[in-house]
Amino acid sequence: MVRATKGVLVQCDASIKAIILKIDAGNSDFIIEELDDETLLVKENKLKELQMLLKKQLDDTLKYPEESDSD
Amino acid sequence: MSASSTQALDYLESLPGVDHKKLYQLPSTVLAVFRRLLPHLAKTIVAAMLYMPGPLAATDLDAWIRPDAKAEKEQAVTLLQGLHILSIDQEIPSKPVYRLSPIFAKSLRQALTGGGNHRSFGIPCNTPETEKKDITFLDDYARQQWEAILYYMVASTGAGLRSAAEISTGTKILLSTGNFVTNKNSRVSITQVGFTFLLQEVNAQIWSLLVVYLNNAKSLQMEHVDIISFLFMLGSLELGQDYSAENLTPTQKHMLDDLNDFGIVYRPSPSSPVFYPTRLATTLTSDGSALSNTSLSSTPTSAPAAGKGYIIIETNYRLYAYTSSVLQIAVLNLFTKLKTRYPNLVAGQLTKSSVQRAIGYGITSDQIISYLATHAHPQMAKSNPVLPPTVVDQIRLWQIEGDRMKATHGYLLKEFGSKDEYADAVAYAGNLGVLVWKNDVKRVFFVNRIEQMKTYMTNKAAAVKKGKD
Repeated sequence: MVRATKGVLVQCDASIKAIILKIDAGNSDFIIEELDDETLLVKENKLKELQMLLKKQLDDTLKYPEESDSD
Repeated sequence: MSASSTQALDYLESLPGVDHKKLYQLPSTVLAVFRRLLPHLAKTIVAAMLYMPGPLAATDLDAWIRPDAKAEKEQAVTLLQGLHILSIDQEIPSKPVYRLSPIFAKSLRQALTGGGNHRSFGIPCNTPETEKKDITFLDDYARQQWEAILYYMVASTGAGLRSAAEISTGTKILLSTGNFVTNKNSRVSITQVGFTFLLQEVNAQIWSLLVVYLNNAKSLQMEHVDIISFLFMLGSLELGQDYSAENLTPTQKHMLDDLNDFGIVYRPSPSSPVFYPTRLATTLTSDGSALSNTSLSSTPTSAPAAGKGYIIIETNYRLYAYTSSVLQIAVLNLFTKLKTRYPNLVAGQLTKSSVQRAIGYGITSDQIISYLATHAHPQMAKSNPVLPPTVVDQIRLWQIEGDRMKATHGYLLKEFGSKDEYADAVAYAGNLGVLVWKNDVKRVFFVNRIEQMKTYMTNKAAAVKKGKD
């Protein structure tokens, strides 16, 4: 029998997926199902929180060059 | 189709069938739905069936449509069914037939060929020429009222903005109900929705506001069917003609006051028995531009010269805008780092942080690009493409960098019995245009809307069961 699951489909790079998995490992509350290397099914009410955590993680790890104001 | 008609369509689709029946009794409503809201293929189907005495067999309809346009046909039929214009009759399961709603068909025939005493296209008054308001006056009035609303919204983002006209408390409440602005500590501040609203073209803005108005109607004890049929009627009126307000229902009379405040209609005085539709009203259900781009200029008397742009962008992301309008400057300030302001010019630069800040507000890169392109200075507009490709690409890249994951709300369908069952369902979802992602190996796929799929599955399951019996 066919089953339908409500949720949010998240499509991203493999690298981003790895970070999401890492976040989820901390408190496994976000992911409903891993679909493939670049796709995940996430709980609807947790999306905002996940986006926030992901952004924080990226900001911490990636450093962007400072913008020059002079030109 | 433009954004404005999509909004009206979404709202209309969400109404129950009972409301559709009531709406379709008026020829003006039916004509507006037909000419403005339906996509072309749906129009063709309706037009072909309009004078047909009996129902149309589904196989005949399939024969009309070229096989490579099957997806478009599914979408058109689904839409028509959602609006209760077309119904499918499966009395004989092997030979389903399509039936056009008799009420809709009757009203549309009446609208196209005239006749009847329905009075749904407004009742013109015969005011002496000398007392009549001319089109220039109505345009100025509409612009002034509509700009006042926009001013009110952006006033929170920058200091030193002053409003040309005051807007009523009702409109202010409506803006905060629609989540365009929020009241925090008695200070009004604009929201994500509000920013998106600001960058839309005027026609789309009006529909956004009217949809909020419609959703809010219940709490004001107003009949939403009355409201929407009145709006569609306004769309069919003639600019510069005055109409009688006497035959309107109480709800519609109440609406006149609110629409007067938006600048959609003009009334000489609050108790006046006549009203004039402005250009904002007469373009509600047409493709014409409601107010030209110059409407956002600070001088309300400026002639509505078609699409006069004012923005110049160089390949080094520098932006110059020939404007002294505070409203335009405030809009630019949403996504540009403004540096200098001269009497008739502001200069600034698009930077990664300024664009990403805008994206943080909920504005998309495409909105920024289209805003810049539509308001490009005539000198820029001469070149092709209008905007420097490097700048366009960079704005898009900045957005992608900002959001590294794409999220789509919807439903995941899985555990299909057989390969064929899966393939059929995926093909059906693809034709409906709801398929977002699929994995053939795992036999799972993701759709952003489930209603149609549900009916399909149930029918399918019933058919399988029948086959077994």
